[in-house]
Amino acid sequence: MKRCLQVMLGLALWLGLVGTGTARAAEKLIIEAALDRQIVDPVLDAFAAENPQIDLDYRDRSTLEVDRRARDRESPPDVVISSAMPWQLALSNEGMAQPLDAPEVDQWPAWAKWRNEVFGFTFEPVVMAYRLELASHMPPPETHRDLLDLLTHYRHWLDGRVVSYSPRESGVGYTLFQQDARYTPRAWDLIAAMGAANINLETTTQRMLAGLSEGRYWLGYNLLGSYAMLWAQTHPDIIVQVPNDYSLVLMRMAFVHRDAPHPAAARRFVRFLLSRRGQHILAGQTPLFSVRDDVIGPYTAQRLRDQVGDHLYPIPINATLLAFVDPLRRDAFLRRWDREIQILSE
Amino acid sequence: MIPPQTSLKRRLALWLIAIVAGLGTLLLIEAYTSARKAADRAMDGQLEAASLTIAESLQWPEGKPTLEMPASALQILATRWQERVFYWLQADNGLSITQNADLPITASMQVEARRQPVYLDAVYDGQPIRLSGREVDSAGWDTQEPVQLWVGHTRHGRDLLAQELFRKSATRFAAMVLITAALVAIAMHTMLAPLRRLRQALRDRRADDISPLRLGVPKEMHELVETLNRLFADQRHHRDALLRFIADASHQLKTPLAGLQSTSELALSSREPAIWHQALEAVHDSAERTSRLAGQMLSLTRLQHLGPGHERQPLALDRLMREVATDWADRQDSRDHDLGLVIDMPTPVWVEGESWALHELLNNLIDNACRYTPPGSEITLGLAHDDGDDEQVTLTLEDNGPGVDAESLGRLTQPFERGRRQDTCGSGLGLAIAESIAVRHAGQLAVSNRQPRGFRVTLTLARCRPPEESRT
Repeated sequence: MKRCLQVMLGLALWLGLVGTGTARAAEKLIIEAALDRQIVDPVLDAFAAENPQIDLDYRDRSTLEVDRRARDRESPPDVVISSAMPWQLALSNEGMAQPLDAPEVDQWPAWAKWRNEVFGFTFEPVVMAYRLELASHMPPPETHRDLLDLLTHYRHWLDGRVVSYSPRESGVGYTLFQQDARYTPRAWDLIAAMGAANINLETTTQRMLAGLSEGRYWLGYNLLGSYAMLWAQTHPDIIVQVPNDYSLVLMRMAFVHRDAPHPAAARRFVRFLLSRRGQHILAGQTPLFSVRDDVIGPYTAQRLRDQVGDHLYPIPINATLLAFVDPLRRDAFLRRWDREIQILSE
Repeated sequence: MIPPQTSLKRRLALWLIAIVAGLGTLLLIEAYTSARKAADRAMDGQLEAASLTIAESLQWPEGKPTLEMPASALQILATRWQERVFYWLQADNGLSITQNADLPITASMQVEARRQPVYLDAVYDGQPIRLSGREVDSAGWDTQEPVQLWVGHTRHGRDLLAQELFRKSATRFAAMVLITAALVAIAMHTMLAPLRRLRQALRDRRADDISPLRLGVPKEMHELVETLNRLFADQRHHRDALLRFIADASHQLKTPLAGLQSTSELALSSREPAIWHQALEAVHDSAERTSRLAGQMLSLTRLQHLGPGHERQPLALDRLMREVATDWADRQDSRDHDLGLVIDMPTPVWVEGESWALHELLNNLIDNACRYTPPGSEITLGLAHDDGDDEQVTLTLEDNGPGVDAESLGRLTQPFERGRRQDTCGSGLGLAIAESIAVRHAGQLAVSNRQPRGFRVTLTLARCRPPEESRT
């Protein structure tokens, strides 16, 4: 219901922007994004205010849909934004992105860009979230090991009440589980334990959060911290926990499409995302966390590091991500997922 | 003043530039290709590492190849230059196992990769890329299909590496050129120093200084200095000869003038008309001789100061000789001698010459012969083929007089040389004049004694073609 409302709100905003935009705008800008409009709105508004001549067409979609649209040779978008990092990197590797030459690009940290084409412009920790009432039945989880222990010892409490991303239907979910499994093989024990607890699989963090608030779920694993933290501000019954052993960090990646129909506006937008001003808005008015060191605000990578310590592990932006989108590897991973998720159920 | 044709420095600089440009082009091409090769060698190692890592991950469950793409292999393939990476795996039956790009791999490339791992350049998606292919085979419980494994990446890093290597080579080469140029400039300056010293030495000389140059010069310039010194020596000889001639001429003129003075003084102190008459005759004879001497001297100086004979034209030598002989036969001076003419070859004999000069030459020779031989001697003017050479003709004048003593023979053609004979009233200039004329005609004048007695003058002249009008 809430989701529906958001979509409608987004649509209304979008229509409003288009409506007012067409009157004076000369240049269009099509953005295909897997990033909630509602969250990124302050950035878009600031950009629109700075560039009134640009008619912003922001299309919020799922990660896999964004990837499909980016490959559409008939009507390519100008800017592609997605949190499905392997897919974004694959698009760059296939030559779908154009390199950007700008001072913002030169200043951008090397670990957050690839080929000067794709830029990770947010710094979003991956978190666990649980209902407050969970703490009255069991010690709340702080690490991955805690989570495995809870799933083992309190399975009857948690049965059917655990939720996570679907690795099959969500690019983000697939990436996160792949990365988990890459760091430690014990991730498979966790997956098996979650399978034994009849885990629910969702496609977006928002749906997981909604389920938690409604009481359908008690415990969520691998949620996007940005969404969860925003949610928790208005839902005090939801506790967000950044894992204490290690926390993956996801970065939204943006690039200018090679065949962008409005390349000048597209470059301007990506430069704005990377600029001090853009990042400042990101740090102050969105929960997306700024990457830049020289930006100060409640949501910066630096501040997050100060708060949770040095166990933040950003998913590296390099060619290793390409292996995740290899169809054979994906199939093998999903096959093993299916095997492990049932292994304790018999 | 002849304007300088080229500057040695400029010429050397041009040569240097030409060599540097030619050699430089070759060297730079070589440097470019070897830089590319070196970059390829270095980066092909990455391709190999990635290829081996992928090969290691290949599995054949139930005999069918499958692969869990190792992430590190792709990172190795991407290198630190963040290349676009490509892989392409195909089973032996032609079915694709997995790939992330539709690489342009041909059947022949696959055949080659079957033998050994290959590395080659290709173009994909409009970009030059580098590919490496190998065939992977493994033992197993079931029969296993071999797998064609190709990996590739874009050339960005290779280009950068090659550029860096090439820039280093080019810098080294440029430095070498600059050093060479500096060294050549220094060497030029040093090498040209002796020339400058020579110039300075020549410039500092007084105009009449013809002493030899005393200057330390390198071996190569020694010849130049020697030539200059020879030139100075020639000048010195000329001047000496001139001074001697003037001294001799003064001396020759002084003697008859002194005679005239004493004769006239003697006559003036006498009252006898007979003595006056006798003195007047002596004065007349002496004046005649002196006048002739002066004429001869004039003739010699004129010959020596005339330029090369430009007015030479074909003339019949035999006819000229006959004229001279006939002329002399009628003269008083030869009445006591037996003058003969022997022409021992077909006539006419054509030579190129100046008629007046050859007349003068013959006159002098015959006059000499008459003067230095006793009365009754035979004087024979002869013309014959040169023994060795058809193109030359030999004119001889022979007498059967006393000859000349051997020591004097060599000096006979010098002015005022009379072969130690003081008993005649000859001027001593006849042979000198003859020699000058011979030289004007590019001929050779030689003197020798005859056996058993007598004297011979030989003049060798070049024959020429008869003139057009006389040929018919």
